[in-house]
Amino acid sequence: MKKRLIAAVKHSLNLHYPARALLILPDDIFLVSFPKSGNTWTRFLLANLRFPGEPATWANIDRLVPDPRGTAKRDFDRMPRPRIIKSHECFDPRYPRVIYIVRDPRDVAVSQYHYHRKLMRIEDDSPIENFVTRFLAGETCPHGSWGQNVVSWLATSEKDPRFLLLRYEDMIADTARELTKIAAFLGIASNPEQIAQAVERSSVDHMRQLEKTQTDENGLIKGSRKDLSFIRSAGSGGWRSELPAFLTGRIEAAWGSVMRRLGYELSSQSNSDGRDFEYLGILNTPR
Amino acid sequence: MMRRLISGVKHLFGLHYPGHNLRVYPDDVFLVSYPKSGNTWARFLVANLVYPEKAPDFSNINDLLPDPEGMSKRNLDRAARPRILKSHNCFDPRFQKVIYVVRDPRDVVLSEYYYDIKRRALAEDYPLQQFVSRFVRGELNHPYGTWGENAASWFYTRRGDPRFLLVRYEGLQSQAMEEMARIASFLGIPADRERLAFAIKQSSANRMRELEKKQAHLWSSTRETRKDKAFVRSAKAGGWKAELSEASIAEIESAWGGPMRDMSYELALSSLVHAGMGRG
Repeated sequence: MKKRLIAAVKHSLNLHYPARALLILPDDIFLVSFPKSGNTWTRFLLANLRFPGEPATWANIDRLVPDPRGTAKRDFDRMPRPRIIKSHECFDPRYPRVIYIVRDPRDVAVSQYHYHRKLMRIEDDSPIENFVTRFLAGETCPHGSWGQNVVSWLATSEKDPRFLLLRYEDMIADTARELTKIAAFLGIASNPEQIAQAVERSSVDHMRQLEKTQTDENGLIKGSRKDLSFIRSAGSGGWRSELPAFLTGRIEAAWGSVMRRLGYELSSQSNSDGRDFEYLGILNTPR
Repeated sequence: MMRRLISGVKHLFGLHYPGHNLRVYPDDVFLVSYPKSGNTWARFLVANLVYPEKAPDFSNINDLLPDPEGMSKRNLDRAARPRILKSHNCFDPRFQKVIYVVRDPRDVVLSEYYYDIKRRALAEDYPLQQFVSRFVRGELNHPYGTWGENAASWFYTRRGDPRFLLVRYEGLQSQAMEEMARIASFLGIPADRERLAFAIKQSSANRMRELEKKQAHLWSSTRETRKDKAFVRSAKAGGWKAELSEASIAEIESAWGGPMRDMSYELALSSLVHAGMGRG
């Protein structure tokens, strides 16, 4: 009862997290990805581009590019519009404009494994094999499996002009080029100097530096192990040394066709086991 | 402020509709479809199969197979488990066990058109062809996406999954016994032919029309709608062949030809659609 009373008071004062009940405005922009796919980095990039007067930090990012599961409704209502909102949700037809970031699932698995160690959700020496089994079943987070999340968006939105698909790997390879794409998609006027400044202010080194002193000011890392960093390798292809071949094979067997479609080369001759996600026809979205 | 206070109090007592923030239990079953795709009929079929002793009709269907967007959190929490819940939502990874009822979008658009006239959301003389364009563009003023988005979001993420059952509205029409047997086995209900036949008979279009005449005022979807038009309308497949213009058919098939084909709906204008599916 006490918990419900607190929740009720929070509701009256708009201090609750709206989560999926967020009231969506027609000019909202959603920055969506499966977890551990470069969402936080892109949030920093966008915040630094959009609000150059207030460099992004771990302390202010939830206000600059809010998270419906980590930012109070009151702050959502007070934000300048158009709002750029973080999300890990699967396809939601209410989102008016979407930037979707996709990352090689083999790297996502490794990244999420280490993140869960940092959060102490799994034992430090917990075998990665157990984690990958749960990862494939979509049991490591509440946003579906990697395949479900990605396919739910691609199958519904890939051809929609209000949908921008980016690969994490391309963002690593040429951050300025990809951020320029985003700026054009959002209609944010920007010159190369502004882009360069946003990239610099969101660099791996800078974000690591900030993380050292601000860990407890952000819900993603609050109370987590200080000996492991949220910003880990910030690269691509780490799975080659971290994942044993039989686990790589299982990921490729589950999602090979989507991976190929996204340009992720398979290391094994994957034999689809019937749980594969084909999405060949897909929608010719006219709006 | 007053409104916020009321919302706070409602939250305190669990009287708000949870909608998207529904607490999902691992044994929940979801009966999902795009609007106007036979969801109500399927609700009656399932209710008559699972709860025959409750004599399902329009007065209790919302309690037997609740809609999280139309029932308070308190009542949803109190519902007997396993719950069977109705939904029109696009893919939701929290929904584990799902029966998805899909219907030919060319018939869905007709059904939506007549329903919107019945509930006075559309003028009686509104041009059908114009309505089809709005339907295809997703301008329907509901949060369930377009037909293509809704169907594709479920089909391409879940097909092949043993906890996902795809049921075609047209199959329920043409081979009700077989389809109901699939549903019963999916739900783990031992059902002999008599029990299946009883559920089908209790949910026939004629019986539902009779019930509607007496109970329209008891059910949320018909309560304030025009009484001269029925909610249970043709209850048939293929009406589009006579009613839709070629331009409207082309518009639908070029937007959603891929998922339509993948869900075994034969296209009427395949050459045209093929050209339309090119990436551009």
